[in-house]
Amino acid sequence: MHGRPRRPDKPEDAAAAEAKAAKLRDLQTQVLRNHHSHTYSKEALGLSFKLLELNPEAYTAWNYRKLAFQHNLGELSELEAIKSSIDDELRVVELALRQNPKSYGAWYHRKWLLNQKLAPVDFKREFGLLDKLLKVDARNFHGWNYRRFLAKFMGVPEEEELKYTMDKISDNFSNYSAWHNRSILLSNLLTQQKKGFESKQKIFSEEFELVTQALFTDPSDQSGWFYHLWLLAQTSSPENPQLIALWPSNGAKLSLSSVREANDKQNTPFSFSSICCYSLKEGILPIVLFFNEPVKGLTPSSVSLNSDLVVGKDIQWRPLSVTNSGHSNCWVTYLEVSNLEYCSSQQFSVEISIPNTDDIVSRSGSIYNCPVNFTFTFEPNNIDSITKDTDLIHDPISWDCSEPLPSHVKPSCIHFDQLKITNALIQEESKWHLERLSDELDLFRELPDDNSKFAKLTLARLLLACAAIKSRGSSLIERRGYCEEALGLFNDLICLDPSHKRYYEDERSLVLMDQLTCNMESFMKYCSVQVLPNLAPLNHVQLCRLSLTRIGFVERLLWVQMLDLSHNNLRSIEGYTFPYAVTLYVYFKHLVKQGL
Amino acid sequence: MVRRLSLRSPRTLRARRPPQRGPPPLPPPPTAPMDSPSQPQQPLPPPAEGGPAEDSEAAELPQLTVTQVEQMKVEAKVADIYRVLFGAAPHTKSLMLELWRDQHIEYLTGGLKHLGPSFHVLDANRPWLCYWMVHSLALLDETLDEDVEDYIVDFLSRCQDKDGGYGGGPRQLPHLATTYAAVNTLVTIGSERALSSINRDNLYKFMLQMKDTSGAFRMHEGGEIDVRACYTAISVASLVNILDGALAKGVGNYIRRCQTYEGGISGEPYAEAHGGYTFCGLAAMILLNEVDKLDLPSLTGWVAFRQGVECGFQGRTNKLVDGCYSFWQGAAVALIQKLITVVDEQLKSSYSSKRPPGDGACATSSSTEAMYYAKFGFDFIKKSNQIGPLFHNVALQQYILLCAQVLEGGLRDKPGKNRDHYHSCYCLSGLSVSQYSAMVDSDACPLPQHVLGPYSNLLEPIHPLYNVVLDKYHTAYEFFSSE
Repeated sequence: MHGRPRRPDKPEDAAAAEAKAAKLRDLQTQVLRNHHSHTYSKEALGLSFKLLELNPEAYTAWNYRKLAFQHNLGELSELEAIKSSIDDELRVVELALRQNPKSYGAWYHRKWLLNQKLAPVDFKREFGLLDKLLKVDARNFHGWNYRRFLAKFMGVPEEEELKYTMDKISDNFSNYSAWHNRSILLSNLLTQQKKGFESKQKIFSEEFELVTQALFTDPSDQSGWFYHLWLLAQTSSPENPQLIALWPSNGAKLSLSSVREANDKQNTPFSFSSICCYSLKEGILPIVLFFNEPVKGLTPSSVSLNSDLVVGKDIQWRPLSVTNSGHSNCWVTYLEVSNLEYCSSQQFSVEISIPNTDDIVSRSGSIYNCPVNFTFTFEPNNIDSITKDTDLIHDPISWDCSEPLPSHVKPSCIHFDQLKITNALIQEESKWHLERLSDELDLFRELPDDNSKFAKLTLARLLLACAAIKSRGSSLIERRGYCEEALGLFNDLICLDPSHKRYYEDERSLVLMDQLTCNMESFMKYCSVQVLPNLAPLNHVQLCRLSLTRIGFVERLLWVQMLDLSHNNLRSIEGYTFPYAVTLYVYFKHLVKQGL
Repeated sequence: MVRRLSLRSPRTLRARRPPQRGPPPLPPPPTAPMDSPSQPQQPLPPPAEGGPAEDSEAAELPQLTVTQVEQMKVEAKVADIYRVLFGAAPHTKSLMLELWRDQHIEYLTGGLKHLGPSFHVLDANRPWLCYWMVHSLALLDETLDEDVEDYIVDFLSRCQDKDGGYGGGPRQLPHLATTYAAVNTLVTIGSERALSSINRDNLYKFMLQMKDTSGAFRMHEGGEIDVRACYTAISVASLVNILDGALAKGVGNYIRRCQTYEGGISGEPYAEAHGGYTFCGLAAMILLNEVDKLDLPSLTGWVAFRQGVECGFQGRTNKLVDGCYSFWQGAAVALIQKLITVVDEQLKSSYSSKRPPGDGACATSSSTEAMYYAKFGFDFIKKSNQIGPLFHNVALQQYILLCAQVLEGGLRDKPGKNRDHYHSCYCLSGLSVSQYSAMVDSDACPLPQHVLGPYSNLLEPIHPLYNVVLDKYHTAYEFFSSE
């Protein structure tokens, strides 16, 4: 299908072309006849040889030669005869590749032949052939595929192959095929912990040096930038899934209030609310766990929940926004609290812990390995006491324990950085990642502004990678600086490269959401508490008129009860099945209806 | 272990002074390709000559790699063409942007009537020739003479193997790619005679035989296994309504293994991401209803960035632009426009975290045993485009109309290359995709601003999963679902 018709460059003499075509058709007819009559004589084989030399696309002829080879092999006993028979096949392939170096049939025939394992393979001949072909077309992917096949087949150490990619890159650093193969080889070597490849940090530092050198030699070449992107992905992502947010947060003290709806005095379902609690008709308290990548395997045994409250027999963790495979970023369970006595001022505590467990796994199969333990307490309250002595309407919520709390607000907190991951290994890794990325940042900031979109995009991605690492540490505020700079870059890119405007707009929206929500000072401007008739006060977040095209960082909005996203440029609301619909649905549905 | 790149002008890394090579040769495409004038072209630097290792010391400016020189040559050619356009009077502009329908029709029908002798290399690919021409003519809304249609149906029947599937010619081994070409041709012809000439029972048996234990398909008996084989098998099976759990099993997991870290899909595991295979892999996954196994955000990013300053698409990272990728890449983006819900779902993981593609253990195939597979393709086309185009669809039309059209009819890879039927087919298919991609409904008439040049340039809409004209698809769908 991707085989292009190779028309002669100049219209040949029509008669000669016609003669050639007639000869070819004649050959083809004879070969097909031999194929159907199972004629495998030397003469018949010779004809197929001629046909394939002229037209390597004749795949039936390749198949015929395989059958003939196997048939004739039965009659050969001497190794020399077998060798010569193999040699014939190798030669057809070589001649065919001379005619069309991208012939699927020819390359496959050679692989098939080697896989028969009838005679030792001539190492030099195979790699010599490849060298020749890759010299003519360094990007011939058939050639690179064959090289990977051959290296594996012959047991060539991957270290050797890595050297070969270096040679090819030295010949022409625009050769992306070589960079690509390098990424494959390095991944394998690092996974297998081969000698010299034990330290990911050392290897990636060297690779960064190498690719940066290529990029500085010529920033306008694409290949290095894409390899850089691969390195960045390897450097900026944690190996194992991580819990990045939860609600209610650790140490939170919730006060649950019941609200009586005026029009239904008899059988009023309780509604709970306070600064940080949910307004739920059913009288249930959701507990939400949010991971940085989709995971599965949350069960009562992998996540334990203890409470002095009588908890229903089985606590079931349910995935929100589930994929076919059952993985989800967001897991929730619901505590029944409807039958509590609300007059008492008793405190209930809930303790949740995730021990070291093999059960929770990401899509790639890496296991969750940061044991955590968190507790929150809640106390039933009477709605009257709240509404009387507080004026919540204009008071923003508070979400950080370290911030001074307004006196009238119950000491509840929303941490974005709700978990301190204390695992030493991860911290050390993050530290290295951050140092590495900071070095890269310093370097790329020095690239003169020649309006290279690759340079700007890479710089933006580096900044975001740094920002992401910062979020795993405790310095959310530093994140703002990175975001600020990245925003500027995406704004530049939108002007510089309008073809990809939408992509940049989406990226910019994510950064903007990150920036707005990453610390209290900035987020405060968008938050308020709303009191609606007959309802407990609700946490209200307005992210309006921000030119957002996409929503992100929903893990920081776990506590939001009303979300106003009006007057943005959201392209579709369809995708945003907000996992927290339990808390947001009233207003959110309303927004959907308005059709944003 | 890491060696310095010794062959370029040596610059110590610590000095960190990148070379001053002047601005890049071409400005990025303007938002509306017609609005802003192109900047004067930088003179081409001399190509790298001789052994680069020897004279690198002397070079003040870094030498360009062969790849870069080739790229600049193409950019210069394309820039010349666009410069003429920007400088032209409105009337001339409109003429320049015209699709030369008559010439293309003449070239294509001429090709159908007698295949010239120089096409001999395609003797193992004759159903492909039929498809490229018949489909191109259908895109141009040109009906074939009945006797030509009959001739093609008869010819393809002779290519049909007695045990199922179509070969590259009569008596040749049945082959999945030529089967795809043959079936798409017959669907495009669309007559009762054409559609009923397909022996579906045998076709099904042939496909089962081509299935490898891994779940992937091989091209033909004793042939290679790759993503192309998987797509052609799944597309045909879905189109003629023989796709079932037995054929579908394991294909998705194989294709998933071919997605690279760049986001695109390669022909086989560990190979490089490639435009043709990316389309094939993505379309097959949609037809299998397993598209969530792919990492769609990174796939989207990869495809979108294959559109270059020339306004057309390249097939792989750092390769030259080629008109045929107007379809392979352009249609992949068009498919994603209908998958935004799935993309968003996947994007909910924090954007900086690595997102390995879907879960291998997932048993989608077995749970969907009873599914009506042909419905996936049918329902998909009814989905609205959930967002606007993810690539510059008007710029792509500009590349096709100005750089790929050949005055005598037919379309080509890039300026300086010869026309051929393969490129004619995929340039026109890409043109159709880019004309309709700004519309919410896939078959609604595009607004004039989305059709570059005169509105008469508008082609017939296609079903992007199969690349057959939409009307023809619907006829075939009805035919095969009633059988």
